[in-house]
Amino acid sequence: MKRAAMLSLALLAGGCASMQKERGHQEVAALVEARTGLKTRWDQGTPEDAEVSRHLDTLLGEPLTSDRAVEVALLNNPALQQTYEELGVSQADMVQAGLLSNPVLSGSVGVPIGNLGVTEHEFSLVQEFVDIFTLPLRKRVAKEQFIADTLRVAHEALSTAAEVRKAFREFQARRQLVELRREVLLAAEVSAEFAARQREAGNITELELATEQATAEQSRLDLSQEELTLVEDREHLNRLMGLWGPRIQWTLSESLPELPAKEAPLEHLETTAIKQRLDIDAARKQASLMWNALELAKTTRWFGRVEVGVHTHRDSDGPRLFGPTLSLELPIFDQRQGLIGKLEAQYRQSERRLTELSVNARSEVRAARARLQSLRMQAEHYRTTVLPLRDKVIAQSQLQYNAMQIGLTPLLTAKKEQVESYRGYLETVRDYWMARAELEQLLGGRLPGSTEPPPSPAPPPAPAAPEHSHEHSHP
Amino acid sequence: MREPTDPAEPLQASDAVASIDPSATSEAVPVVEAAAPQGFGALTRRGILSTAGAALAGGALLLRGARAEAQPASPSRPEAPKRASYAGAPPGMPHRDYQPVVVPNGTTLPWKLVDGVKVFHLVAEEVEHEFAPGLKALCWGYNGQVHGPTIEVVEGDRVRFYVTNRLSAPTTVHWHGILLPSGMDGVGGLNQKPIDPGETFRYEFTFRQSGMGMYHSHHDEMTQIAMGMVGLIVIHPRHPTGPKVDKDFALMLHEWRIDAGTRRPNPNEMTDFNMLTLNAKAFPATAPLVVRKGERVRIRLGNLGPMDHHPIHLHGYHFRVTETDAGRIPESAQWPETTVLVPVGSTRTVEFVADVPGDWAMHCHMTHHVMNQMGHAFPNVIGMKPGGLDAKVRKLLPGYMTMGQAGMGDMGEMGMPVPENSIPMSGGEGKHGYITMGGMFTVLKVREHTNGQEDPGWYENPPGTQATTATAAELQRDGIEVPKPS
Ligand SMILES: [Cu+2]
Repeated sequence: MKRAAMLSLALLAGGCASMQKERGHQEVAALVEARTGLKTRWDQGTPEDAEVSRHLDTLLGEPLTSDRAVEVALLNNPALQQTYEELGVSQADMVQAGLLSNPVLSGSVGVPIGNLGVTEHEFSLVQEFVDIFTLPLRKRVAKEQFIADTLRVAHEALSTAAEVRKAFREFQARRQLVELRREVLLAAEVSAEFAARQREAGNITELELATEQATAEQSRLDLSQEELTLVEDREHLNRLMGLWGPRIQWTLSESLPELPAKEAPLEHLETTAIKQRLDIDAARKQASLMWNALELAKTTRWFGRVEVGVHTHRDSDGPRLFGPTLSLELPIFDQRQGLIGKLEAQYRQSERRLTELSVNARSEVRAARARLQSLRMQAEHYRTTVLPLRDKVIAQSQLQYNAMQIGLTPLLTAKKEQVESYRGYLETVRDYWMARAELEQLLGGRLPGSTEPPPSPAPPPAPAAPEHSHEHSHP
Repeated sequence: MREPTDPAEPLQASDAVASIDPSATSEAVPVVEAAAPQGFGALTRRGILSTAGAALAGGALLLRGARAEAQPASPSRPEAPKRASYAGAPPGMPHRDYQPVVVPNGTTLPWKLVDGVKVFHLVAEEVEHEFAPGLKALCWGYNGQVHGPTIEVVEGDRVRFYVTNRLSAPTTVHWHGILLPSGMDGVGGLNQKPIDPGETFRYEFTFRQSGMGMYHSHHDEMTQIAMGMVGLIVIHPRHPTGPKVDKDFALMLHEWRIDAGTRRPNPNEMTDFNMLTLNAKAFPATAPLVVRKGERVRIRLGNLGPMDHHPIHLHGYHFRVTETDAGRIPESAQWPETTVLVPVGSTRTVEFVADVPGDWAMHCHMTHHVMNQMGHAFPNVIGMKPGGLDAKVRKLLPGYMTMGQAGMGDMGEMGMPVPENSIPMSGGEGKHGYITMGGMFTVLKVREHTNGQEDPGWYENPPGTQATTATAAELQRDGIEVPKPS
């Protein structure tokens, strides 16, 4: 797949001396689609773009999913569109490199000042000659630069996709976290109201009431902070999807998905990353083109300017003369030492950069894999152990309450602790999905089994307490 | 060598007796006390042929007793005259020498006679005990029971107690309030080595007093008493004084800390107890005291709870406190009372004639001692108006219902699910509804006819002798205006 893309890239880069608008972006789109299954588009104000715009509205008309959000961003993220323009710049450079320098026509007319003599004409047509030898090499360097740029742009697109996935999970989780925060507030409010009623009956001190009320008000502030974060998370997603105006009205229906039942195999990830990552590929290309540029400079170091041309001249009283011209630069002083030295340094620089990128990529993959595994373990621990224990604490607190061993306040405290545990669980599941997106980004592709499992981290279920077997009279 | 230190100490005779006893010490009284059982035991072993010797010894003691009696009465030597009257007597036998006590919810410890010595065997062990239906706990007791069985003897009985320790900790038995040789007193480390797990110790002495004593562990008392290692000792007088009683009940008061949902008493609790028991049972599991109308009733109360004194109140009668743990109170010093305070570490005995039939409550008058597993951390919500609070709480906790605004009375009958193995707040059903009492509460049931201790059921009050709702006609007749609720 990768090889085919590269081949088509090479074919496309070869030989054309004219600008092609979609050139390059098609390659980017192919690379991105191969890795995400989603199409990307370069908005160039064509009629098809109106089609894309309609497609965007369709996508945003339905409740957003992680994949849909990525698709919208790939089609619409302004930074990405900006990056696509770089392909134009790069392509222009490549076209430029394939052009021979234009022949130079020079002419002069000499008009006598006195009465003596006649008007003198001189014309020459001169063509820079070295170009003919260096052109293929130059073209190759430019082509490689273009491929490297294409890879880099595709990498940018994938990074944006990963960032969207992360932001999407963040927002998706935040909605549920806000809901849980509301539950905490409700518990605190109820606790304060209970205290107020106790106070009204004359059973507790002003101090105890104020303490409960202060706790409830703090919970209110916590909720508004979290609600603000929800807005910020949504706006982050809006920016990534490049949305404004009516398009920001999108909705979300799914809650954060459960963890996939099985973890994708996490062996050979380092190798996969090295093979598959486009930025590494780009760095590799960059090193190779620096080498070619260096070669080019070295092979032409003894060539000065070689200009070949024809020349016609007529003296004031002589015959018309016509003949070839040759102008040869003698590389006595400047043998391009400066340029070669610079290119050598730049070549080594690009090699080092490739090494750095690879070493870092391997380490980042290891760290991300460890993070993914640890978060899975933590989420499982929450799900199988901590949350059932919290449920049990609630159930047992309720029994102790029924037995009048504890009051409402500890019962509500147990509820708050249960909710906090569910928040911890949600955050862990969210971090898991973010770590997964991160790992996929580091691998330059998706992990196997990345289709989403059904949504699930449900809000804490309230314990189903049996009804009282006996009517109880209340004033 | 021996110096009398007490002016009430008998003179020559005791010196003479003391010389028989190799274990004589400088303490005046124990010498005599130790001597008497020794002589008694020796005589018994010699059997019938030694009656002359016995008579001689008895005569000497009698003589001594008579002389002692002639001395000015001293509170520290009250039994000196009595001792003479039983010495040499054969072991006291039930129904001949005494009317056995009734131990509601309990038993008396069996014994066998070996050469005139009553031999008992106590086994200290862990016992799963049911306090009332719905609450069982792992306690420590004796012979598979909590508390230990009641030991019943007669003044003058020579006894031998074998005590086997099947606990995981060392223990001892202290014979509380019993006059005996110091080495038999059972304080671990002070009077004896503790009985290690698996060991059996022997205690041997003669009861030379009457009244009610108790026994309990005196090693790591805080733990072992809190775990239930206590029991009653009833010592019938060799020659009873006062009117003969028909029913003789023995009750041990105790308190525990058993958190709702646990199954072991917490011996670390010092003050905050939540289970109060009569013979280790809490109402509604306390067996009633069943009496036939006109019977003279004796109720013996012992208290080995860790902390609290219990004012035990009996409805329907005046009783007289006839005994403390040091013996019988002279008739001239007995007061009519309806409540007797039984301090920690003490026994009290009351007597009365049950001449009014009915169901009469008997309970500790410390109100929180008639509650089962009361929660002491419950907020005060008396008079609180829940308003819409319940609906809000149910959003978070569906089973929630505000309770306690009118007290804890109806908690027991609400039937809400509670922690397993717990009987919080609850009492039991009575004839006229739910009895909101638990803990140290039982019913004295006085009837025209009884069938032993069999529960006769609830009393049928004769017409006109029962409180009922006042009729409007009655109110009008008597000019009673009922204020309208505001
Ligand atoms: Cu009490």
